[in-house]
Amino acid sequence: MSETHRISPESIRKRLESVTDPELDRSVVELEYIEGIEIDGGSVEVAFTLPTAWCSPAFAWMMMVDARDALAAHPAISTATVRLRDHMHAREINEGVNAREPFGSAFEDADGDIESVRRELDEKARVARQYRAVSALLEGGLTPDQIVELVRGDVETGDDRATIRVDDTLRVCVDAAPIERYLEKATGLVCDSTDRLFLTPEGETIPPEAFETVHKRGRLATTNMGSQGHICENLGDARIGGPTVT
Amino acid sequence: MYQYEGEDVFVIDGHVHWWDASKDNIKHEGGEQFIRCFYDYHTGFTPEERQWSLEEYRKYDEERMINDMFGDGHADMGILQPTYLNEFYTEGFNTIDRCAELADEHPSRFIVNGRFDPREGEAGLMELERQAEKFDVRGVKVYTAEWRGDSKGWRLDSDESFEYLEKCVELGIKNVHAHKGPTIRPLNRDAFDVADIDDAATSFPELNFVVEHVGLPRLDDFCWIAAQEPNVYGGLAVAAPLAESRPRKFGEVMGELLYWLGEDRILFGSDYALWEPEWLIEAVMEAEMTPEQREEYGVELDLEVKKKIMGENAAELYDIDIERQKEILRDDGVSEEFGLAEQYGESTPADD
Repeated sequence: MSETHRISPESIRKRLESVTDPELDRSVVELEYIEGIEIDGGSVEVAFTLPTAWCSPAFAWMMMVDARDALAAHPAISTATVRLRDHMHAREINEGVNAREPFGSAFEDADGDIESVRRELDEKARVARQYRAVSALLEGGLTPDQIVELVRGDVETGDDRATIRVDDTLRVCVDAAPIERYLEKATGLVCDSTDRLFLTPEGETIPPEAFETVHKRGRLATTNMGSQGHICENLGDARIGGPTVT
Repeated sequence: MYQYEGEDVFVIDGHVHWWDASKDNIKHEGGEQFIRCFYDYHTGFTPEERQWSLEEYRKYDEERMINDMFGDGHADMGILQPTYLNEFYTEGFNTIDRCAELADEHPSRFIVNGRFDPREGEAGLMELERQAEKFDVRGVKVYTAEWRGDSKGWRLDSDESFEYLEKCVELGIKNVHAHKGPTIRPLNRDAFDVADIDDAATSFPELNFVVEHVGLPRLDDFCWIAAQEPNVYGGLAVAAPLAESRPRKFGEVMGELLYWLGEDRILFGSDYALWEPEWLIEAVMEAEMTPEQREEYGVELDLEVKKKIMGENAAELYDIDIERQKEILRDDGVSEEFGLAEQYGESTPADD
């Protein structure tokens, strides 16, 4: 049995690395939301705690669904259960997610569907990740005019380097990580090899004269997520360090 | 008055409350959840030795507030921003009438803002008229995620809201402070979405829209709207405490705000009693952008900029002549009680 097929706390953490807090676009593993992992033969139960008991139920739901699906995809796991702890809606979320019910049946009076919330946050994550990818290309020596012209087919990602075809004669190699992370969130918009690689926050082609503004809006999206991340962290520290008030 | 490297910094705390979340005043479990959520923000950001107990936090008296703001607190003036939450609290959480009691005692120290909720229809418009006449309000605070009956919020760009904004123009109320951003349990996160500011600000260029909490966690949406709407301002409450606990992150947020809005459209607010102005003002005044941040954003957070953020920008919005105001504050009761007269300068001898 290969390492990835064996159930161990490490392999489970590895699986969950791709699950992100949708508002912060950071892994739940890195954010230390995982509270405990229990393994019993092929059955696995993973417990999570979020920074506050009142974190958005929609966000909590998304994370639990993604964690459930990531665990279910583990070839050696037969039964996967996710358990949200110390949340005002823990019961509804745990029952609904593990029974594979839709959000709307667990929260009947919720307005707006969960998929539109997810799309909105995915868009923000795309904009923030584009900022990091474009920054890597600027550091790699590409000019703004060259960057806005790139199409999906100009990028090839290898093990840890990405090769960008700038024109018929010039190829540039950069760190693959920011490019791959960006492409993960751009899948809905950047699919065909002729699709422009980078877009405005609204999903349109970037006119060369708008490059600077679009790039600065990407920076702004990363600042927003970073500062919100600190706010969540402070609230989480207070919850762990101080008296429980729920 | 705050002193920074020998220079006076006149501080108008743009966002303060005098609330009552005592158990006797709570009529719905949402009221208990709301104050406990505030308390999470309090303990999450307040240095440990400065934290209040939950019981102190529920309701504080006039003496404590005056001391926290002006005695120890470095602030020279404060703008009282009402938050009603009538569905949660029998007498309201923080009403204009309660705020006015405080302002009546200390008229030179406080500006009282009004409040409206367009779901109140004709009666609400009359109430807004009453506020304007009785308290001479020049600003209003709006809370778009407030519950009312089955409704869990309202939008500033709705027809009903526009009727109220027209009424504001008519009554000479020119500053609209909107809580936008931070989720407060049990209120709906999306009802604090900043998007509705856009159309309201375009449609009412004669009004100023102060987005409290700079929209966090929607700083990006907020800055993008403000970059296009010259009458949109950012209130620093909730962002300011980052200066104490995450100074580098605070520098980045200030870099963004200065880049997209500029130094004339940012207002300091402590959100008292969320946090006390004393340590908060010290933290913001001491905050610096790193050389890398200054280069990245191409802006400065120097003393002149901080003076604008701390008081001059609010003075502009509320027609306060700071030099004239210092003369008034020098002789008021607060200056007498805390021995502050000297910091407002020598009294000018009569011209006879």
